[in-house]
Amino acid sequence: MTRAQIPPEERLTNLVVALMATEIGLTKQQILENVSGYRQRSAAGVKMDALEKMFERDKDELRALGMPVETIGDPSDPQDLREARYRIPQADYDLPADIDFSEAELAVLRLAGSVWSSESVSSDAQAGVRKIRALGIDGDEPIIGFAPRIAVRDAAFPALQEGIERNRVIVFDYLKPGEASSTRRRVQPLALVEYEARWHLFGVDVDAAGERTFLLSRIVSDVKVTGQAFDPALRDGAADRALSGLAAVAASHSALLEVTPGTEAALRLGRRSTAAVQGMRVPYVDRHIFADELATYGPEVRVVEPDDLRESVIARLRAIVDAHSEEERA
Amino acid sequence: MNAASAPLLAGDRVRLYLTLVPYLLERGQVTLDEAASDFGVTPREMRSMVEKLTVIGLPGDSGYWQLPQEMFDIDWDLLDEHDIIEITNDVALRRVPRFTAREAAALLAGLQMVAAVPAVADSGLVSGLIAKLSRGSADAPPDLVVAPLTVSEVQKVVSRALHEGVAVAFRYQAPDAEPTTRTVDPAQILITNGQWYLQGWCHLRKAMRTFHLDRVSDARLTDIAITHADAAVPAEFGSQTASGHVIVRLPERLVPLLGGFAHEEITHRDGKVTLRIGMADPRGIKRIAAKFGGALEVLEPAIARSATREWAASGLDLYGGPHAPDARVD
Repeated sequence: MTRAQIPPEERLTNLVVALMATEIGLTKQQILENVSGYRQRSAAGVKMDALEKMFERDKDELRALGMPVETIGDPSDPQDLREARYRIPQADYDLPADIDFSEAELAVLRLAGSVWSSESVSSDAQAGVRKIRALGIDGDEPIIGFAPRIAVRDAAFPALQEGIERNRVIVFDYLKPGEASSTRRRVQPLALVEYEARWHLFGVDVDAAGERTFLLSRIVSDVKVTGQAFDPALRDGAADRALSGLAAVAASHSALLEVTPGTEAALRLGRRSTAAVQGMRVPYVDRHIFADELATYGPEVRVVEPDDLRESVIARLRAIVDAHSEEERA
Repeated sequence: MNAASAPLLAGDRVRLYLTLVPYLLERGQVTLDEAASDFGVTPREMRSMVEKLTVIGLPGDSGYWQLPQEMFDIDWDLLDEHDIIEITNDVALRRVPRFTAREAAALLAGLQMVAAVPAVADSGLVSGLIAKLSRGSADAPPDLVVAPLTVSEVQKVVSRALHEGVAVAFRYQAPDAEPTTRTVDPAQILITNGQWYLQGWCHLRKAMRTFHLDRVSDARLTDIAITHADAAVPAEFGSQTASGHVIVRLPERLVPLLGGFAHEEITHRDGKVTLRIGMADPRGIKRIAAKFGGALEVLEPAIARSATREWAASGLDLYGGPHAPDARVD
């Protein structure tokens, strides 16, 4: 029986089975000689150091899949991995036995898992739902009639998530509105937050040495995950800090607007406003994004203050007039 | 289920095996089609994965081949003749693994999004689920947070109509139109970008329509039972079959900002795309165009182009000339 090409998933799955079947752990030697996928290569005369490298990569791959691969070193010298043993402790692998889900809970989680439009996040959510179904739960009463959708079309999303999960500094080019060119940012990513229907990255800007919030839509390069690690404790409570920071910005920035009653602007802005002597006050987080929205209302709204918001709206309206003034060029 | 189009990588297959084994053991016998659909793969792929399961097993020992009882086995006759999967010998992987950090994060953020859906909010299950997902996760999930949505009275009434299966009546103020009174058989509530839309059968227009709930007021339940709930829900805003259309040109990177508007690409040159957008009244493009602050140019028809220019110009008129005095309230 010669099986020259054993696919990697077969070798990896056999490795998981082997590492879970052992209490005391297996040495690298035992794994390379006995686990199917390595064993055949070993017998076919593949060099030992090539096989060892393969095992190192496989181990990383399993850890990336969430497998708790444990290394048991020499107790007298933990740095010495020559005699190290490897195993996957069953207790760290299994979904704890006291976690159970009802059919109604499965229905809620199915709806929660259906909101993602991004393929990578959606498949993570579906894989999670599948694990619950593998427990034997089959809620057949789905919550119908609601279609909540989170639009994560920002291409940066998966890399940002990886940076957060692995506590690694990320690097990207960020273009602030009104600036001619982007700047390179090095960031310790802590949380991703959707606020007012836009995704924000919250993290520590390494060069500015302070916590900052970035809009994903303004990241103009690929996001690179570096090898530079940071203390995972920085992530504690990060999402709450990000949300309260955004809420504080909205509370401290508000525009005074005159709005024509009965119009689209009155309907849409009215929901978020408080009455003022001259029109209404509407809080906002980002001047440029709010100016984009206000421009869509054309003559239905006039910005009284602040000045910078008013100037931003005027600049947009003027650019639209300019773009459409000459006769159409075919 | 999600698309079964993307080819599976080795890691995906390993992840799939770890959930597939407990899923099959829990259920005993499962048809190939059902398992394929539950795992988002093709029946052919599922068959190949199940067949390859039989080469997974405990490691051999010191040069001995593995014994049959140390390997997974399936009922081959059942699979070959009836397309039914049954594991007849299992050696490991009996328990469902923990959620990976990313699986937990995707579900946790989805949960926060659906927590505002009345059927979910009323269930009282969300906080318990958050605790279970966090505790069942292999590593601390990355913070992925969706700011909570507040639910308005109109949203509650419409949700109740959907739940009770009766038509809902309301006043509807579409942009640039006189308000109308509508009676609608609710089919679905779409929640996207923080906005709620009711999709349903409009008794006035005798067709499926999408209503932005910000434009809805005076919503009331009727005692008219739903009769048209089965009609197909429109997938996107705008319509390819609309009587009119608009042709626009914009930088390719801004296309995602068009959001749910159905569009069709005509040409693509130098980073700019020309698109056709279906729209019953082509002048309606003026509000969408204004969001782009001049970066999107309306090319055709002429009435749409001039409507866009006039819209922005009349907005600009509100600010007068550069020297006009500006009334202020402090």
